[in-house]
Amino acid sequence: MSSDARGLARASKLSLSAGQRVGVIVGLLCVVFAFLPFIVTKPYLLHMGVLLFLAVIQGQAWNILGGYAGQHSLGHAAYFGLGAYTTVMLMEQNQISPFVGIWLGVLVAAVVSLLIGAITFRLRGPYFVLASISVAEIIRLLALHFKDVTRGAEGFLISSVPALHLGPIEIDFLGKRPFYFAAFTVALITTALSYAVQQSKIGYYLQAVREDQDAAHSIGINLQAYKCLALVISAGFTAWAGGFYALFVKFIDPDTVFGLDVSVQILLTCIVGGIGTLLGPALGALVLVPLSEILRNPKGLVQLGLVASDSSIVRVIEERFSNAHSFVYGLLLVVIILFAPEGLFGVLKRLLGPARVRQS
Amino acid sequence: MQMFFQAAISGILMGGVYALIGIGLTLIFGVMQVINFAHGDLVMVGMYAAWLLFSHFHVDPFVSILLTGPLLFLLGALLQRAFIQRVIGEAQENQILLTIGLGLLLSNTAMLAFTSDYQLLTTSYSSKAFTVAGVSMSVPLFFAFIVTMLVALALYLFLMKTDTGAAIRATAQDREAAQLMGINVTRMSVLAFGLGSSLAGIAGALIAPTYYIFPQVGHAFTLKSFVIVVLGGMGSVVGASIGGVLIGMVESLAALYLASGLKEAVVFALFLLLLLFRPSGLLGRART
Repeated sequence: MSSDARGLARASKLSLSAGQRVGVIVGLLCVVFAFLPFIVTKPYLLHMGVLLFLAVIQGQAWNILGGYAGQHSLGHAAYFGLGAYTTVMLMEQNQISPFVGIWLGVLVAAVVSLLIGAITFRLRGPYFVLASISVAEIIRLLALHFKDVTRGAEGFLISSVPALHLGPIEIDFLGKRPFYFAAFTVALITTALSYAVQQSKIGYYLQAVREDQDAAHSIGINLQAYKCLALVISAGFTAWAGGFYALFVKFIDPDTVFGLDVSVQILLTCIVGGIGTLLGPALGALVLVPLSEILRNPKGLVQLGLVASDSSIVRVIEERFSNAHSFVYGLLLVVIILFAPEGLFGVLKRLLGPARVRQS
Repeated sequence: MQMFFQAAISGILMGGVYALIGIGLTLIFGVMQVINFAHGDLVMVGMYAAWLLFSHFHVDPFVSILLTGPLLFLLGALLQRAFIQRVIGEAQENQILLTIGLGLLLSNTAMLAFTSDYQLLTTSYSSKAFTVAGVSMSVPLFFAFIVTMLVALALYLFLMKTDTGAAIRATAQDREAAQLMGINVTRMSVLAFGLGSSLAGIAGALIAPTYYIFPQVGHAFTLKSFVIVVLGGMGSVVGASIGGVLIGMVESLAALYLASGLKEAVVFALFLLLLLFRPSGLLGRART
């Protein structure tokens, strides 16, 4: 991609700044993703695409709170799970359309997030991290315990998602394509919103909170209000992703949607890409999702036609690395923190940026 | 009332093991100001070590702590020297993330090596119990409690009575001043992390006869040990001992009066209240 961008710049005899180059690459990638389902119809690829967009949404959502405002939450599984459970329970137990339910899930998560924010935002640094984990764990344990309401560890299996009626148009959610476009659209919206927040007064206020809470407070920024604002936005989109995930994967239980793994994965997406940057979460998702999906299900490589069905690669991954995706997560965390704490986006920016002056 | 005493005593016995885990974490935090999110996974390594030694060489877990303790000390010292040392003094978020990563590596290495099946370490006395004044006590947990108290006492004496112990305490009090006094703070950090890991490993070995052993078992211990350490005041060894026993009791009583599925939720809820109203812990000084 980068050579394309350079070629383009040369052809038009324009020298693009680093920012513009990145913009061109992102634009091209978006076009590719928008037309991908018309060119490639392999369900596995579309499946991975949906998971990718969901990871982008979650990463962008987390980044608004964790990256811009510097509140490193390790409890976003709470909002993800609330979105998932609200959507599914309303659909299965109250016959409420999931296309309505998913927004009610967002509402529930937003309200709960205000409650959680009121408690946890009084704490700083590691205490905030610990409190955010505790809240998510409490919700997970409650969901496991109150079987009458949530079916406990059994979870919910969704048989089918009804068609969506938009006036005269009817969209059936049978194949993967509608999921793909819906998730793609929301991923774009979340990214655009993240950009809007970053560029607005709110963004600067949040960054001030991140850099020095006491200083921000002393110049008249209402810490609690701005942190809560970032949290509500963050929780809302995370809940949307949770509801959508439930409809797409068609199975949820407390451990898969409320578990600490979910929170770690969201955070990891941002760390790998670059915390506090606009495109970091997207970049992180682009790296992590294909990696973990292939480790989880190496047969996908065959479906994509990348390797032959009798290839030894698939067998080796299946036999030796079938549960290795968490191992790889751990490895990535350690490597990134030690060697590139600014994330891949920071590394790429250095590589793509203007040629550095050579040391003579 | 009988039920209450029974639950309280069981809780105290379990709390002894929690105390040992908490002391390890608080020692690490005290010396390095690093919150070790891999702590529960070190407990898990201790459990697997005890299980391996028992199932292959028939070494009783109460004897094998003589091996698992030093083994975990080496593992901890290695982790500190190779990874943690590099982030000392950096943003606390990065330290947390690094130790989460190390924890994932430990638990997933265990999973790749031993699969995620539950393992059992069944000794001849695993399910034995004896009765004192109408209160029954599990034999393995009773002895585990005795051993944890002995280990805690030994650690306390080491920290208070030896020169090395004094050096560790000095490093915890003021890293720079300690360095100026000629204390090798890097060595003290390695030592503290090794000791903390060793305590976690011993605790793991001690509960191995009464617990399911599986790669993800550490999660619960990590979170619980944070609660214990904050309860006792970050960095306070005595506080962590009391905190551990208290948390054990709270869990046991919550299981009796509410539901066993909610005992951990109660602990975390208390933790949130504690963070809000007394973040310096029950024994800690008020923050200045």
